[in-house]
Amino acid sequence: MKRVGMVLAGVLVLAGCAAGVDSKSGSGGQTPKELRLAIGGESADGYDPTLGWGRYGSPLFQSTLLTRDPELNVVNDLATKHSVSANGLVWTVDLRADAKFSDGKPVTAEDVAYTFTAASKSGGLTDVTALAKAVAVDNDTVELQLKRPQSTFVNRLISLGIVPKHAHGKDYARKPIGSGPFTLVQWDQGQQLIVQRNENYYGTKPAFERIVFTFTGEDASLAAAKAGQVSMAAVPSSLAKTTVAGMKVVPVKSVDNRGIVFPYVADTGKKSADAGPIGNNVTSDKAVRQAINQAVDRQALVDGVLEGYGSPATGPVDGMPWYEPSSAIQGNDPAKAEELLETAGWKDSDGDGIRERAGVKAEFTLLYKADDTIRQGLALSVADMVKPIGVRITPKGVSWDVIDKRLHADAVLFGWGSHDPSEMYNLYSATQAGVEYWNPGYYTNPIVQKNLDAAMAATDQATATKFWKAAQRDAQGNGFGPAGDAAWAWLVNLQHTYFVSDCLDVGKPQIEPHGHGWPITAGITGWRWSC
Amino acid sequence: MTSALGSIGSRLIRLVLLLAAVAAASFALMAASPVDPVDAYVGGDIAAIGPEQRAQIAERWGLNDPPLERFGTWLANIARGDLGYSHTFNQPVADVIAGKFLTSLALMAVAWSLSGLIGFTLGVVAGVRRGRWADRVITWWAYTLSSAPTFWVGLLLLYAFSVSLQWTPICCAVPVGSIAGEVGLLDRLHHLLLPALTLSLVGIAPVTLHTRQAVAVAMASDYIAFARAQGERTFGLVLHHVLRNAAGPAVLLQFSSLGELFGGSVLAEQVFSYPGLGAATTAAALGQDVPLLLAIALFTTVFVYVGNQLGDLVHAWLDPRTHRAEVTA
Repeated sequence: MKRVGMVLAGVLVLAGCAAGVDSKSGSGGQTPKELRLAIGGESADGYDPTLGWGRYGSPLFQSTLLTRDPELNVVNDLATKHSVSANGLVWTVDLRADAKFSDGKPVTAEDVAYTFTAASKSGGLTDVTALAKAVAVDNDTVELQLKRPQSTFVNRLISLGIVPKHAHGKDYARKPIGSGPFTLVQWDQGQQLIVQRNENYYGTKPAFERIVFTFTGEDASLAAAKAGQVSMAAVPSSLAKTTVAGMKVVPVKSVDNRGIVFPYVADTGKKSADAGPIGNNVTSDKAVRQAINQAVDRQALVDGVLEGYGSPATGPVDGMPWYEPSSAIQGNDPAKAEELLETAGWKDSDGDGIRERAGVKAEFTLLYKADDTIRQGLALSVADMVKPIGVRITPKGVSWDVIDKRLHADAVLFGWGSHDPSEMYNLYSATQAGVEYWNPGYYTNPIVQKNLDAAMAATDQATATKFWKAAQRDAQGNGFGPAGDAAWAWLVNLQHTYFVSDCLDVGKPQIEPHGHGWPITAGITGWRWSC
Repeated sequence: MTSALGSIGSRLIRLVLLLAAVAAASFALMAASPVDPVDAYVGGDIAAIGPEQRAQIAERWGLNDPPLERFGTWLANIARGDLGYSHTFNQPVADVIAGKFLTSLALMAVAWSLSGLIGFTLGVVAGVRRGRWADRVITWWAYTLSSAPTFWVGLLLLYAFSVSLQWTPICCAVPVGSIAGEVGLLDRLHHLLLPALTLSLVGIAPVTLHTRQAVAVAMASDYIAFARAQGERTFGLVLHHVLRNAAGPAVLLQFSSLGELFGGSVLAEQVFSYPGLGAATTAAALGQDVPLLLAIALFTTVFVYVGNQLGDLVHAWLDPRTHRAEVTA
């Protein structure tokens, strides 16, 4: 038995030598040459921004025209200036002159125009369909002409990494060339991505010469962290309660939210384009929706279902620069909820604990995706929380298939969260009612619609933000938020949890969008070694 | 001679028919699947991808043509040797399979040999010592193994050997951070060890239990009693008289288990982030990557079919009685 152990130990020593520098070797006060991260995020179809690579976190190999700072403000990157024409249709962007692709060629307006044109036709995961035409005006000025005004187009300038026109061939996704902080060394599909610092990068150079991303599952990532093989591991919050020697848990705030959408209209027998029923006679009453918003104890959901790793959510864009705090409701107040229902005529006259009005019982079904334990926990807890106020919610775990058919007639528990306010537009605009999973409740309010449209048509971000805020709650108290129409009952924002080496300083991470793991790389060039 | 050629010919015809049936059935299943390929591809980005963009995606993948037409096009391309393009991996299907198959083959070959050797040895020991404690322990162990899920066994092994003892790596087929050229054979074996062991556990139990039974039958036969009466020791008995007779079921099982081996590799590869065909199959199925999934289905069919045919041949060689039976039939 002992001999077997010795042989295996021998194998291990050999492997240890071959594995090269580990993060542990940085204990002498020096930044290690190599950093290893297990945060997932592999892009199976490669690293081509025109197909959607880099829409979260850092695109590593490419750089973008604009970017968001840790507070999510829009700041320049490749661009030195940008302006939008008065009709909102022409975006003019000036480029910096010192940026070079990793093959030594300069980044020109031609490349930017090419990238936007290619992305608008690629059929990938970045939606640039608003673009009519991209024109290089001169060597460092590009003009992006849109089909319709779209203030949120700024997010394409933020997320679309610029590719070189001269080297964007068939194998680009596997051999990316760009002007970003890193260059590709090797990609072992399904296993790891090895990148190296781009010494010619024009921005803040990363502190680490090489970064290795391993693409392990959640369990294996935690195992790797415990074995001391990685400096960072993204783990679900349910695994974050364990302790890992030499590592701390870093919970990162997110706008990765969960909320309940209510059918906003009454059931009049109408059907959607694919023959699904529309409307619900209980949730179409504002009093019911507001009462549920009041009755739900969101802090208890955070503590109970998320084990503390989250925060109460009262809107779809909590913490974003375009969030309107006055649209929120503070805490929970079951007494007020009951009062709302009483006033609206919902009374429990037959004494069965459920209120009714004109023969309609205050009950409805809440659908959630069955294999998602967090959604299940939230749905069951909410049903318990509204029982005392005389409303019966029947939670039902189903597949997307069933949700697709019922989402306009039953309440559904959804998860959203984006750095792009287009999402808010899609969730609440009457024009998007019944389109995809957007506005499934057929919410419509002309005042809110006017604000949403004004925000979309704005030609500068400050104006857009003003109208985004007004859509949540304006000076007269109108809005889709819980204090207004209460079209949704938002419940919680998740926190994304990471085990991070005690020596690794990741600075102040951005509030992360829907999606755990890769978004933390947004600040990767600023990460430092502190031991 | 002519009969041998005829037998090969008929086997080939059967294979072609089988492939056609598998292709048609797999395609029908994919076409009837409730998973919308565009939804699967868009995933969590559903809020950011509008109808216009979705139409582009569908166009790029040729989803707008009617299913029969798509199948026809695919068949015509296959006939020309073109397996199509995988949208999941943004790569020609042939490249995806070629890249992953070698990794998978190494894993499956090692696991297959291990499960055969260990299973057969344990089965022989149990059969010879039938009813004794060795038999009870082995039988109990076999039952436990056959009821333990691969995924779970993999995780246990991972925690025991990679986290606590740190003898084996946590993931992947190559050392983390190593450049391809620097990876030696020893490294590869080291990374193969635990996934292969996990995968082999799937196949051990059936081989062990069947072999045990066959050995027990052989041990109770008249010729063993006769040999024993001539003074042969147990070891000699097993070596000269039992092994060949008991090997039949083991060999058949072992060759016919290739399908299960492939299924098990999907799970084992997932636990150890081992990038083989199993992982690609999951990705293809979840992403509704029809060309890739069909190609893998065909590939697996050939693989399993050849395995079964080899099993027949080896079994016939080991046990001439089956050979005669085939000829008279």
